[in-house]
Amino acid sequence: MNDAVESNETPLLSVRDLKVHFPFRRGSLFNSQKGVIRAVDGISFDIGRGETLGLVGESGCGKSTTARAIINLVPPTSGDVQIDGVSIAGMSDAAMLPYRRRVQMVFQDPFASLNPRMTVGAIIGEPLVVHSLAKGRDRKLEVLRLMELVGLNPRFLNRYPHEFSGGQRQRIGIARALAVQPDIILCDEPVSALDVSIQAQIINLLMDLQQKLGLSYLFIAHDLAVVRHIATRVGVMYLGRIVELAKSEDLYAGPKHPYTEALLSAVPVPDPEVAAKRQRIVLSGEVPSPDRYYPGCAFADRCPVKIDRCTTDRPELPGKPHAAACWVREEALAETPANA
Amino acid sequence: MTQTASQTDPTESHASDDPILRVDDLHVSFKTDEGMVRAVRGVSFDVRAGETVAIVGESGSGKSVTNLAMMGLVPKPPGNVDSGRALFGGRDLLTMSDRELQDIRGRHIAMIFQDPMTALNPLMTVEQQLTEMTRLHLSVTRHEARRHAIEMLGLVGITAPEKRLRDYPHQFSGGMRQRVMIAMALSCEPELLIADEPTTALDVTIQAQIMELLADLQERKGTAIVLITHDLGVVAGVADRVLVMYAGRIVEKADVRTLFAGPQHPYTIGLLGSLPNVESNRDEPLAAIPGQPPDLSQPILGCSFRDRCDHRFDRCQNEAPLLTPRADLGGEPHLAACHADLSNTDSHTANANHSENGQ
Repeated sequence: MNDAVESNETPLLSVRDLKVHFPFRRGSLFNSQKGVIRAVDGISFDIGRGETLGLVGESGCGKSTTARAIINLVPPTSGDVQIDGVSIAGMSDAAMLPYRRRVQMVFQDPFASLNPRMTVGAIIGEPLVVHSLAKGRDRKLEVLRLMELVGLNPRFLNRYPHEFSGGQRQRIGIARALAVQPDIILCDEPVSALDVSIQAQIINLLMDLQQKLGLSYLFIAHDLAVVRHIATRVGVMYLGRIVELAKSEDLYAGPKHPYTEALLSAVPVPDPEVAAKRQRIVLSGEVPSPDRYYPGCAFADRCPVKIDRCTTDRPELPGKPHAAACWVREEALAETPANA
Repeated sequence: MTQTASQTDPTESHASDDPILRVDDLHVSFKTDEGMVRAVRGVSFDVRAGETVAIVGESGSGKSVTNLAMMGLVPKPPGNVDSGRALFGGRDLLTMSDRELQDIRGRHIAMIFQDPMTALNPLMTVEQQLTEMTRLHLSVTRHEARRHAIEMLGLVGITAPEKRLRDYPHQFSGGMRQRVMIAMALSCEPELLIADEPTTALDVTIQAQIMELLADLQERKGTAIVLITHDLGVVAGVADRVLVMYAGRIVEKADVRTLFAGPQHPYTIGLLGSLPNVESNRDEPLAAIPGQPPDLSQPILGCSFRDRCDHRFDRCQNEAPLLTPRADLGGEPHLAACHADLSNTDSHTANANHSENGQ
């Protein structure tokens, strides 16, 4: 358990030992191999009210699957998801409905996540219909209010998604998520498809809305600078697991896990003077495959500081404010005796 | 080749060694349902041997179209190269026959793209694709071509290259495919490599490996690189000179240190300010550029950036600014297309967050 939220109140969202495994079969009919892709392999975290937890990691590390599993878009294989202490994992769709209202999602691709045949008004108003929150004139007024809230011109009510730019479409997606007055929004790479200048507009909007409405965010991104800006705490994922979890400023100032260190050192810095001076840790090798089972640390093959124990013995993330799942770098683990 | 004095750009005349590529007043347009889109509206630059020139801009700024036009790869119709020249080794790429261009593409100028799957043939093995290039351009024997292919794959860091030769592109991961494409592009030792967002689709740790690889190959072979990207972080790390494009034009041109230390065009200042930074403060909103780029299917009077600009004044409404020299800090002349003089104003403060983050 890693209760990094330093208070006694029940966290808004609590994820415990969440696993999402996809079984697969490959090869020919008579010579097939069965296996399992461990997309998410036992992760735990809490998100408090008004807090932003950033999840970073490279493609295939399971960060998007984590978000999808939280709201059951992908059924979790095991583990528990709690909202205000109530477990929602494995609930029926009908029983889940009131909880869906509290947890909303904003997707990466503003082109794919909006129905091209619906007007903006209908898109933003649809959740109000699904959750029977407003009808007729009230619904229209509410939609107009939401459009204003996210910085869309209310005159565009009857336009279609294709008439908007990427940034504006992302605003539509955010307005749709806000329609049901959620407590938390799961943002899956919400700005990575946008140009830099537009990206900054959307980040500012999300932070502004958080101030106004007291929202919590799970903010998933591969861009570490964006996450640094928006998140209060950050979890770094590698091959389906969180390898480091800490307050944002602690993580960026003093990364513990060698993977976090390498990741931070690889982020291009927009300053030629700094870029010329700094030392990059260039990792050798590729991200390992999630269809293989690693008894030890999945990062061991690429790790510059690994010891024998790393390939046989899996380091778990300890429950402390700045935690790393590393036998070498995490004091809490380094002292434990080696056993298989 | 005669050059009218008015079009000669001070950056170019500064070159002591002759540029290997000189692009001159290039215009490209596309016919669309919404009307004629003028994607590139008068772009001039040059590239010298062994240097890296970065072209930075957002989607729709014309950075990719500029390079596709040079390589004769703009689909016609709907596209059309309206005017301009692209001199490579004294010959104009824009007026060459397809046949002549084919001799140059791959042999003297090679391209790598963002998505390696668009450049690799999924039905051919890596060996077939790598040897096709050298057999065609260098007229070597099949055996020599194969040996060369193994050598190239090794050079780009693919382990056990002789075993991977028979593999098809889908058997490689994204980062490895990018390496295969780079191996292909470099197999004839081109003088110029055009890299269009070569690392955008890759994760940062792999991106770092690829950029390192390109820098290493450049050092060894003296290849000039035109790097097209939207990522200012990548630019800061590898470029010698930078061209900033906006709405089909170059709006600022400088060597990399000058540009990042004191950007002179409000768009460049805005771009740098809107970057979240690993050191940036959560309590301060990012300096986003309000609004959106202009619609290039409509005629643009005056400055294309004026609607999003804090420094606009009357003159910006109807007179398009030309690239003019700014405060000279030594080295390359620094050019910006802006009527306002921002040399003593907030350009440095806007950039302050970025220059303070030395470690």
